[in-house]
Amino acid sequence: MIQQIPEPMTSRQRVLAALSRQPVDRTPICNPTSVATVELMDLVDAPFPESNRNAEKMARLAATSYTELGFDTIMPVFTIIQESSALGCKMQWEGKDNWPTVKMNEPIWAEPEDISIPSDFLTHPDTQCVLDAIGILKKEFGDEVAIIGKTMGPWSLGYHCFGVEKFLLMSLDDPDKTRRCLEKMKQATIEFGRAQIEAGADAITLPDHATGDLVSGEYYDRFLKEMHTQFVEDIPIPIILHICGRTVDRMDYIAQTGMAAFHYDSRNKPVESMETVTQRISLVGNINNPETLYAKGPEEVAAEVFENLDAGVQLVGPECAIPLQTPIENLKVIPEAVRRWHANRSEN
Amino acid sequence: MAELKDIQNEVIRQEIGEFIEREDERQKIVGLYANTSSAMHDIAANIILGEHLKVDELTRQAIEGGSDALEVMDDGLIAGMAIVGIKFRENFIFVPEVLACARAMKAGMKHIDPILSASGIEPVGKVIMGTVKGDLHDIGKNLCVMMLRGAGFEVLDLGVDTSPDDFIEAVEEHSANLVGMSALLTTTMPNMGKTIEAFIDADLRDDIKIMVGGAPVTREFADDMGADAYGANAVECVDIAKQLSGAAK
Repeated sequence: MIQQIPEPMTSRQRVLAALSRQPVDRTPICNPTSVATVELMDLVDAPFPESNRNAEKMARLAATSYTELGFDTIMPVFTIIQESSALGCKMQWEGKDNWPTVKMNEPIWAEPEDISIPSDFLTHPDTQCVLDAIGILKKEFGDEVAIIGKTMGPWSLGYHCFGVEKFLLMSLDDPDKTRRCLEKMKQATIEFGRAQIEAGADAITLPDHATGDLVSGEYYDRFLKEMHTQFVEDIPIPIILHICGRTVDRMDYIAQTGMAAFHYDSRNKPVESMETVTQRISLVGNINNPETLYAKGPEEVAAEVFENLDAGVQLVGPECAIPLQTPIENLKVIPEAVRRWHANRSEN
Repeated sequence: MAELKDIQNEVIRQEIGEFIEREDERQKIVGLYANTSSAMHDIAANIILGEHLKVDELTRQAIEGGSDALEVMDDGLIAGMAIVGIKFRENFIFVPEVLACARAMKAGMKHIDPILSASGIEPVGKVIMGTVKGDLHDIGKNLCVMMLRGAGFEVLDLGVDTSPDDFIEAVEEHSANLVGMSALLTTTMPNMGKTIEAFIDADLRDDIKIMVGGAPVTREFADDMGADAYGANAVECVDIAKQLSGAAK
């Protein structure tokens, strides 16, 4: 269970302590992927897609996580496509009410030899704006709130740059070739991660979608565990791994990497997940997005918060980037429910 | 009643013995292979193993040797995919393996399709398929399209990032009464509901049946949105399509 200390902590202290499984005054609320919604965009006049490409708007929208919702983290990288754009992928930037996406049916690479990290990778407008936004947020909120960055793992970059189907077939047809691709693509992961540390990030999310919906737990062990372990040294800051879907079958491997935390999906029960990782890694999550936060009400949201807290999950929040039409009121319930749970616990 | 030991092909026998756990499914699958030829078993086995070059060769040989195209499709290709579908549903295999099997099926279908097209056989039904607006993922949807075509449906594949208007336009233009929607992202799943609402607004909802699927989609979510059916995988998609179009045997 969570070790609780009486002294009040800042949000930043709370998050960093929870990421290293140290005592906290209360469980921090965190979404290491995105809490951007259309309502929040309207509130601060920072709509998609501009808020994904303009540092000032990106920072403004991200800050609502703390100023409007009461979360303990600010995450300015709402998408999973910033570095793919900088790598040369064809993009579909969409509008205010849809996520920008990579046109994965128009892949840019087919062979390991094709992979090249452009010399302007970190100064491309779509990576530079992330670095600038982190700088803005660090200056304004750096003492009180944890600023989380995001750098995509090489498996996810493989989907974007090779196309999902081709990348997955390659992994089966020629595992060695796939490993060579991952080795080359990981340079982008490391470079972008380190640049965000320099810009002021306190922790970094590393989405790498070896999801249970697509590949087996054994695949994670075969292709990614060692590389993720190395990232702990290569990106010297608390890393929050994010993988969607049912992942209990690979959580033991994930817990062996030495990463600080794993952001887990609602398809994994909090208790079974905590039992699997056995305090080797913090868990972040796992309130259901499409059925609960998007479509249900405060009571159902609070119930999922309590389930996580009862299980001892170290940081509570949505399971993934939330749907853009999610009502703000449902998001505000999360910190309220956390406080209520801790108050009840103190009384008892 | 046919028994597992009666199946001569060792790969098929092992696959059924090892991976088909539900007794009713095991009986159904054993029955599927009970009265079919060893040539069809060879094709099915290589579908299961994802050996597209062998399936290509074996299917070509079967057709050139005078086998009926429908027989090769049903007893070879689709019979193999029936086992693949169950293995996928039960997490014995994952998407890379299924993609390899689908590639093998495609290699076989290239010999079958021209014959079926020329034969003038009436389709079982007409289906509009697409991944919803904002979502560019199509592996699952493509598997469904392939399996539906294999099961005799005429399928109009709208591809990815399909707006509600595109779905509606396709239904009207092709007089289809069955729509399949897919989403891979929790962030785009709500666009399924928006598409259903658009069909209601266009006064077309009562004329069509809507089935939905995709990794994060659940039966509860499908019910809440007002879909007619939810399928967890491509095999279920075909079963549902048959039921909804009244083609279930």
